[in-house]
Amino acid sequence: MDTTLMEKIARLAGLDKALAEFPDDVAAAFAQAGLHRGIMHAPEDPAAEPWPPMTAGDTL
Amino acid sequence: MAADDGGGYAVTDLHWLTASEAVRAFAAKRLSPVELLRALHARIDALDPALNVFIRRDDEAAMAAAKVAEAEIAAGRIRGPLHGVPVGIKDIIDVAGLPTTCHSRVLLDNHAQADAVCVAKLRQAGAIVMGKLSTHEFAIGGPSFDLPFPPARNPWNRDHHPGGSSSGSGAGLAAGFFPLALGSDTGGSIRNPASACGIVGFKPTYGLVSRRGVFALAFTLDHVGPMTRSVADNALLLDTLAGHDPADPGSRPAPKRYYAAGLERGVRGLRIGFVRHFHEADLIADPEVAAALETVAKTLAAEGAILTDVTLPTLSEFAAVNRIILNSEAWSIHAPWLRGQPGNYGKLGRQRLMAGAFLQAGDYVNAQRRRAQMIATVEAALREVDVLLCASSMDPASRIEDAETTARTYPRQARTPFNVTGHPAIAMLAGVATNGLPLSVQFAGRYFDETSVLRVARAWERAAGTDRQHPPL
Repeated sequence: MDTTLMEKIARLAGLDKALAEFPDDVAAAFAQAGLHRGIMHAPEDPAAEPWPPMTAGDTL
Repeated sequence: MAADDGGGYAVTDLHWLTASEAVRAFAAKRLSPVELLRALHARIDALDPALNVFIRRDDEAAMAAAKVAEAEIAAGRIRGPLHGVPVGIKDIIDVAGLPTTCHSRVLLDNHAQADAVCVAKLRQAGAIVMGKLSTHEFAIGGPSFDLPFPPARNPWNRDHHPGGSSSGSGAGLAAGFFPLALGSDTGGSIRNPASACGIVGFKPTYGLVSRRGVFALAFTLDHVGPMTRSVADNALLLDTLAGHDPADPGSRPAPKRYYAAGLERGVRGLRIGFVRHFHEADLIADPEVAAALETVAKTLAAEGAILTDVTLPTLSEFAAVNRIILNSEAWSIHAPWLRGQPGNYGKLGRQRLMAGAFLQAGDYVNAQRRRAQMIATVEAALREVDVLLCASSMDPASRIEDAETTARTYPRQARTPFNVTGHPAIAMLAGVATNGLPLSVQFAGRYFDETSVLRVARAWERAAGTDRQHPPL
């Protein structure tokens, strides 16, 4: 685990207090995020749109 | 009530009455809502200290409502299809005047001003709200022993986890505390306790049931749904809950269906796709789970269903897409509290909810793009078959105090695919393991075709008698 990167992102996200009081939990959260990102296959087709799509009109 | 109500229940067994049976007994003047509620309160008094199903009981208000219902039914004024039937509410769902704590220290003083739409619909149908039920913290952090309330326990064996996050809903139904409950499902939280506790939990199509007044975990994955001890009750409760809510951005107008109609049609000629690779390749299920799934498949085939194998994306990728979306959306809600008061969360909730801080905008959008592709794959499969059959949990419930085993087995499940895609999916009892804990099966169907899913579930229930199997309490 890249602890320096983890701490940098945590501070950017405003998690200074969590980092000071619960460093193991912040590290576990960082590891979880990396795990899921590593498994997902991002679509290669540039035209692949996200769900749900933006829809204009009186949908709200 | 007579010693036997014709459904095989003696007075001492009132706690096992289904909602459908209770409504019939009320109409026939063989039972009153007050008698039923008294019996349930007595059972809860006796058993809940060991099960922790309720965070907060609302006995006085419930009894007052039962007395009104008793008088109205006696006078022939029936408010709706659930008149006089008690119901439990997961504590992320607003009930006017009661706290919605989400089982968290963060929201201990969060008093709801109004009923959630789903609760308001229950009241309109005549149901009686008994109180608020245990959950994992914010429907994600659990089972945990560092929260303001203890975790619910499994009535089949109180040393085991009842599943989550709708833990109290599942455990309370299995324990005979109420015949109906509400749960929510973002990554499987209705169907996990249904699987662990041997009851029926249905995550309907995304947008069928309003989420207004329900504390959000992840906006595009959250579903509210019915939890019951029988398929007929599940259909009855869904009849009440379903309906378009223009003030819920995810709500969709759908044709009004009467889900209880057609339940007994059987499965002859229905095409059922068996997603074997979920439990045979993606994750290797416990042998008893695998055997139970084979029994379900063979039973439905014997009833006339046409079974074929179906291939979908892998469970690991469904889970990753689910978690990236869930963590990103949940972070957008929890970031201010996690920054300012991280110590007010339990350890598991804190870990899981902070994960979103480490995901980037591109991760979230890519997960939503991959989601669209996954939806297309499942839709293609559902053009070839009517209903999907697959595993729910890969293992019987873990011991609740064995955090390591719980952490290992909790993700071993096949529920997240249908949160990612939004298709309706139901989980229910498939058998009982040699250690005495429930085994489970899951059925999923086309968007807004809850009727077919319920029909298959009922066929299995009728063949196996799953609605009459209760824990040895």
